[in-house]
Amino acid sequence: MMSSDAVEENEEESSILVWMTGLAFLAAIIAIFIYVPTERTEGVVQRIMYFHIPSAWLSFFAFFVVFICSILFLWKKEREWDIYAHASAEIGVIFCSLVLITGPIWARPIWGAWWVWDARLTSTLILWIIYVAYLMLRAQSEAGSMRARYAAVLGIVGFLDIPLIHFSVLWWRAFHPQPKVISSEGIGKGMEIGMLATLGISLCAFTLLYFLLMGVRVRQEKLKDEIDRLKRETLYSS
Amino acid sequence: MNLFISQVSAIVWKDFTIEFKTRELFSAMFIFALLVILIFIFSVNLSVVEASEVGPGILWVAFLFSGTIGLNRSFALEKENGCLMALMLMPADRTAIYFGKLISNFVFLTIMELFILPLFMIFFNIDLLEHLFPLLIVIFLGTLGFCALGTLLSSLASNLKTREIMLPILLYPLLVPIVIAVVRMTGQVLAGEPLSEMMNWIGLTASFDIIYIGVSIMTIDHILEE
Repeated sequence: MMSSDAVEENEEESSILVWMTGLAFLAAIIAIFIYVPTERTEGVVQRIMYFHIPSAWLSFFAFFVVFICSILFLWKKEREWDIYAHASAEIGVIFCSLVLITGPIWARPIWGAWWVWDARLTSTLILWIIYVAYLMLRAQSEAGSMRARYAAVLGIVGFLDIPLIHFSVLWWRAFHPQPKVISSEGIGKGMEIGMLATLGISLCAFTLLYFLLMGVRVRQEKLKDEIDRLKRETLYSS
Repeated sequence: MNLFISQVSAIVWKDFTIEFKTRELFSAMFIFALLVILIFIFSVNLSVVEASEVGPGILWVAFLFSGTIGLNRSFALEKENGCLMALMLMPADRTAIYFGKLISNFVFLTIMELFILPLFMIFFNIDLLEHLFPLLIVIFLGTLGFCALGTLLSSLASNLKTREIMLPILLYPLLVPIVIAVVRMTGQVLAGEPLSEMMNWIGLTASFDIIYIGVSIMTIDHILEE
């Protein structure tokens, strides 16, 4: 059970996080829409990149957290890790969906098509399906140790598939713009400094948002457990 | 080690005895694979498209779809009359159950594939005999990967209420690397290229097989647990 002190401390921490995330997003939006120069060849639509790349980063990071928490769950068998894996998978799927939405909005004017079967697009789509299936598995099974174990196995199996999917679709075909931030010429050489800074701010804002959402979702799930426990207690005592 | 092998072979033998007696699974898988090939023949115009271009894809879709029937059956069969519980009560490691199921799934699917190949050869007018040996290696690697991951997920899905629906939903996205690899390799093999030209695909498929057999050994204890 959470003591009242712990709750207060938690709230204090999360309110600092809320402020930080808010400020980071304010800075990111100012940077994206006012500060950063418009890209010469692609025009204004290129600004969507400052949402697209951070969303992609966030979803991969979230899926990695699912993987780690799944291993920890199978190892320690503590409900805590199951909650983290669940919350992280949900956030990952949301941001993966954003990647799949912002990508075509950019691709339509630049490539002249909403979708092409490029390596990165294909692997993002497959990744999205894998984690939607993961959430479906959770929704299909009743709460309890079985759901947590099965989801953890799928969290591990799914993440280990990512490198295999990456190479298979890479050898299959590739058109996506080559990575500019971290390229063979060194970190940040392929990009103008203002753009790099804007991307950096945006990445920070999204990462903070991840932790904020995680905190909210985990707290919600824990309260749900608490309610279930109290319900059972009153049911048996009366 | 000998004990482990005899435990695994007991499970494989049990599955074979059931199959010899009922003959349900094999015929269903074979007819289903044949139907999938027929439906694809109707949906692509073979007078326009080169048969050797679409052939490998159609062949593997047929294998994987009918293989899914086998996987669904594999653990669903054990749920009847609490057989799975009896298997788990057996004084054996849970990995023995996994390997027993893996081997029987693999053997059923391979036999079915060997029956489909001659029909494929006739329907698509492709000469397989010339490239039979490399083709069999590709089929072996692909089928093993499919069964390694499929057996694990089938043991997992069999405890869900909606197992027939959930197994393909969980399995197919994870199978993407194997599907791309085997379809590519089959196409290249049928075009007469030697296996040494496609080492990257062979490596990918072999690592898929090894990774998922390894993961299954490590996680099967957590799935078959009551």
